[in-house]
Formats: sequence, C-alpha cells, structure tokens
Amino acid sequence: MAVAQTAKRKKKRDWYRLGFIALFLLPALAILGTFMFYPIKETFRLSFMRSSGFGEEIYVGWRNYQRIFASPEFRQGFVNVFKWAFWSVAIQIPLAFFIAFTCVNFRTRIIGRLRGVYYLSNVLPSAITAMLGVFIFSPTSGVIKTFAKTTGWKWLESIDWLGNPKLAFWSLFALATWAYMGFGIIYLMANIEQIPTEIREAALIDGATQWQYAWRVVIPYVSYAIRVQAILATVGSIKLFDLPYMVTLGGPRNATVTLGITLYREAFLNWQYGRGAAIGVVIFLICLVITIFQFSFVNDHSATDQSI
Amino acid sequence: MSRSKLSVLLVMTLASLLILSSVALAKTTLTIWAVDGLELDDPHHYYVQNLVKTFLADNPDIDIDWVAFGSEGAALNNRIRVALAANVGPDIFQSWGGTFMGEFARMGKLLDLTEELSDVPTSEAAKAAMSYDGRLYGIAPFFAIAGLYVNEGIFEELGLEVPTTIAELEAVAEKLVANGIQPFAVGARDEWPILATYMYLVNRYGGTIFDDAVARKVRFDAEPFVQAGLKIQEWSKRGFFGNTPMSEGYGDAQLLMQTGQAAMQISGSWLCGLYADPNQTDQTIGFYAVPVLEGGVGKVTDLAGMTDVGFVATATAADKKDAVVRFLTYAMSVEAAEKEAGRVASIPGVNPPNRLTGMASDVFTQAETIQFWWDQNLPPALTTPVNLTIQSFLMDDTDVKAELARYELLVEDELGSVR
Repeated sequence: MAVAQTAKRKKKRDWYRLGFIALFLLPALAILGTFMFYPIKETFRLSFMRSSGFGEEIYVGWRNYQRIFASPEFRQGFVNVFKWAFWSVAIQIPLAFFIAFTCVNFRTRIIGRLRGVYYLSNVLPSAITAMLGVFIFSPTSGVIKTFAKTTGWKWLESIDWLGNPKLAFWSLFALATWAYMGFGIIYLMANIEQIPTEIREAALIDGATQWQYAWRVVIPYVSYAIRVQAILATVGSIKLFDLPYMVTLGGPRNATVTLGITLYREAFLNWQYGRGAAIGVVIFLICLVITIFQFSFVNDHSATDQSI
Repeated sequence: MSRSKLSVLLVMTLASLLILSSVALAKTTLTIWAVDGLELDDPHHYYVQNLVKTFLADNPDIDIDWVAFGSEGAALNNRIRVALAANVGPDIFQSWGGTFMGEFARMGKLLDLTEELSDVPTSEAAKAAMSYDGRLYGIAPFFAIAGLYVNEGIFEELGLEVPTTIAELEAVAEKLVANGIQPFAVGARDEWPILATYMYLVNRYGGTIFDDAVARKVRFDAEPFVQAGLKIQEWSKRGFFGNTPMSEGYGDAQLLMQTGQAAMQISGSWLCGLYADPNQTDQTIGFYAVPVLEGGVGKVTDLAGMTDVGFVATATAADKKDAVVRFLTYAMSVEAAEKEAGRVASIPGVNPPNRLTGMASDVFTQAETIQFWWDQNLPPALTTPVNLTIQSFLMDDTDVKAELARYELLVEDELGSVR
C-alpha cells in the first residue's frame, strides 16, 4: 500500500516536473518554430522553385543553384565576403587588441575617455555610419576632398575613393574597420582586465618589456577571446549587407558586392524569390559550418579548462 | 421643466446622437500608401498635401488614412508587393505604372477603372503608362520627361549656344572642360541616373530599337546599343562626366548643378521645382530637348519619360469604388494640379508654376513618341541588371559589347531568343 502511494506521488511529481519544464520551453519553442525554423524550411523549399512572390511556383530542381553559381555577380560576392573575412581577422583583430592592450596597461585620463570614443562607432546605427562614410569620401563635398583642396594636394583630390573598382573595397573596409572595431576593443579589454595584476608585475620585475608582456603573457591569456572574435568577424563578413549597400550599392562593377546584396537584388529588385532563396541557403550553410566549428572549439576549450 | 418635456428632450438628444453616429459610421475610409508625406513643409509635397486637404473638405463622407513611405520609392514598392500578395493592401497606392504595376494587374490585384476614368482628361502617354493589356488601372496627374538641363548663366558667360546636335554637344563639352567646368552632372554611383543619357543615345542611333529588342526582333547587343555604350565610354574618357563620375551619387549631381560646378545634366523633369527655386540655387537653369545625331535615326521629338506622380486602385477597394473614383478624378483636376510647385502636369489647362517647368512642358507637348524608362518597363528580373550594365560603360576598361552580350543572355532567359 505504502509502495503504491509512493509510486503515485512520484508519478504526480514527474508530471508536475514535466509541466514545469514545458511551461518554460514551449513558448520559446513556439516562437523559434514560427519565426526561425519554419522560414528556414520555407527558404530551402523556395530555393527549388521559380517564384516572383506572386501566383504559382514552378519546381525547377537545382536550376536556381546552377544559375547563381554561374552568375559573375554572385561569384564576385562570394570572393568579396571571404576576402572581407580574411582582412577583418588579419587587420581588425590585431588593431583591436593593441588598442585594448594600450587602454588597459597605460591608464591616463585621456585614454580613459578614449574607451568611450572607440565604442561610440559600435553604437551608431549602420545608416549613420554609411552617411558618415559618404560624407568622408564624397567627391563633391567630402572631408578628404575639402582637405585636399585646402592644402592644394591635387594628387589627393583626384583619388576616386568609391568610384574606382580597385579602391572602393578598401575605402569601404577602412570605414568598416572603424565602425566594427569598437565591440572588439571593449570585449578584449574586458578579457585583458581579468589578468591578475601580480602576473603583470612579476613579468615586469623579471625584466619583460611591454612588447614581451603582450606577446608572451597577454595574447596566450586572451587567446580564447581572440578566437571568438575571429569567428564573429568571419560570420559577420559572410552576412555583410548594410554598409556596402548603403555606401556603394555593391558597385562599382560589383567591387563591393556581397552575398547579402546579391540576395537582396535577386529577391526584392529582380523578383526572383527562388534565386534569392538559393543564395540565402548558401549563406545559411556557410554560417552553419562556421558555427559548428565554433561550437566544437568552445567544447574543446571547456575541456581544457576542466583539465586545468 | 415638466417630466414630459424632459422626456421629449432626452428622446430628441438620443435621436440626434443616433443620427450623428450613423452618419459617422457611413463614412468611407480610403487607405492610401504614398511616397510623399502630408506633414513636411516642403514644396515637393504641396500637391499631395493640398489634394488631401481640399478633397476631405469637399467630401465629408470620405476619410483618408494616408501612409507615407519616403521619397525613395523602394520602401513603398517592397511593402506593396508583400501586402498585395497577401490581399491586404491599401485601397489606393502611388505608382509609376509600367511593368511593376502591370505585374499586379496581370495577377488580378488591381481594380479595373477603364470605364470610370475614360472621360478624365489626360495625355495619351500618361494613360498608356497607367494601363495594362488595354485596361486602365489608375491616373497620372504628373508626367516626367527627361531632357537636357543647361546652366544658361555659364553658357552666356562662355559664349556657348545650347546644342541641337550631338556634335555641337561635344564641342560645348570640350569648351567647358577647357574652362574647368564639369560638362555633365550624372550621379552614376546610384546606378539609374545614367539610364536617361543612354536611352537617348540609343534612340538617336537606332530610333525605337528598344521596342524591337523587347519584341525579340533584335538583340540587346545590336549596333545602336553598342554605339551608344561606346559613346558614353568615350565621353567618360574625355572627362565630360568629371573625374569621379562613379563616386558621385544623384544628390552630388544635383549639388554640382545647384552650385554651378557642372553645366549640363540629362535627367527627369522632376528636378524643375528644385532648380527653379531661388532658395535652392542661384544659378539660371533651362530645360531643352536632348540633341539629335546628324545622320542618326532618332528625332528631337522622341522623348524618354514616365509617370511622375500616379495613383492606382487595388482590387480590395472594389466595395469602395465610388469613393476611389471620386478621389482619383479630383486628383486629376486642374484645381488640384495647380498646387504643384515643379512637376510637369499631364492634365490639359494646368499653368506651369515656373519658367523651368514651362520649358519642360513645352518639350513634353511636342513629343511624338515617349519611351518609358527601361528600368520601369522591362520585366522586373531585367531592370537592375540593365542599370548595372549601363553604369559599367563609364569605366575605361569595360568591354561594352561583351557587357551587352551578357545582358542579352539574361533577356533571352526572360523573354526568349531573337526570332
């Protein structure tokens, strides 16, 4: 009798526990299902259709994929996002590290205020950043043009920052470096500040220079944060859309086009939803691979932490 | 007051309230999606602001819910596409007609107003722009044509005549370059602004060859298309578009004209209001027909243009047809159109608001053919690529023929091969 009562109580408790879990998980699942999983599934389905967004959809098999991979615009976008990702990691992260290192290790009143200045670019909406970019590079009234006119530097005045296909990518990248680096600086600063003061003092007493301290102590200490930064920068580059679209529309001659811009053009300007969806699937798959890599690397890191 | 009198008063008050509320309930609300807002104190918005204000005053049984999406047009177009696909669109929306509107008409998303609007006086070009497959779906009170804006002050100072042939145009441009003035303001960074120049050059070389290309009688890399592209490339090399044409947006181009840094611009008549406004520019600017090519096919009366302001009714407004027709008819009235500050009216009897608009109206009235903007009149899949193709001609190392051949492949995919 007592055993039966205990089993009954346990069953009741299990139901209660299950209900409790469901209460917390189901709303999130419903929201994710409606706004994430279903649209992803629909994007996959649409990528095999010819559709203008209206009326009937015609099944075309892999044709949309064949078309986008044959398109010079898409291929250029593909090259551009990986080029962007490579240089983001190669330039933006080292630059962010050295600024963060300087801000933490050389504390003066000015540097303290600079933290806010560095982060400011990160809180600006990308539309404002794009406007600032156009304002800097504008050939009629831009900051560089005005400066060149004032100083009489004809060579500077004649540079076509956004109109020259060989230069437009780098002009835009310079703008993005300023715009996107703020987060990296703050994130790395937070990590560098976690290094115990004793370690720094011990290194300096042992005669290490600031360079040696940075290279041999700080970088190994914040390597996890640097790797996270690298992955975020790579995924961000693959999905890049707003800044290049607002500043150059992806031009001139696709010099600054990205996968996001080709998706927008195909789906919303050319009314080729199927092809747009196919590009979306490609972006999704690339990001998925990088995310899986990110997860495996985080797990490795956790295992390393535990072993320590 | 006796109880009976009080009761009568109460009943009368209740009855009045009932009547008033029923009148209020009987009001028809028209939801209109547009680009121009009703609040801004901007001359560019005077027409729609006065249109709504006066119409509401004259039609107390109609209410208007006006939603503005901003002057770029893309926001409105994108929203319209999503809404009409789900059959939840507005009753009326601002449209430039052409294939964009035609796609909606083809799918049965628009209200056929052929009979209701047949007597509304307008130009044939405006009517054609708002029609699809012989049926009329809206109105176009203002029509934009592209022409040659000329800074008359600079021309007078340098002793230049307004060119009437392409050869004269090139001679004028050479002289302007020699005097340190940019001959043409374009704004090619925004892709579409170079289209008007190319459309005119194609016409001057090959007449109505664009129609033949769309009808698949000739390819898009046929000789006149190539010649026009090479001419743009040649002008770019000669510095006619300045040193940084690909960096200049359309706003930059306007600024160059407003400040007298550029002397000419081939663009739409929607700029008349801006260039005629003494608060916006101290330059004296005129509007002329684009010169012809000696020995070419196109005539000076062959124009490029399309609807500047237009309205289309949706199928969801079928039960409000009377209110819709009343609004559209009033939008086409001389009274409403005369509030406009700069656009060219397609309504007979409207006096131009300034000299520049008057000059553009004169060019418009002499038109024999009007070629609609290619990027509004081709199937949607071909519109962005056409602008990108033309934009590339401004670069020295572009192979014009190869670019056009690549575009032809896209056209073949959409419209089929040349028969």
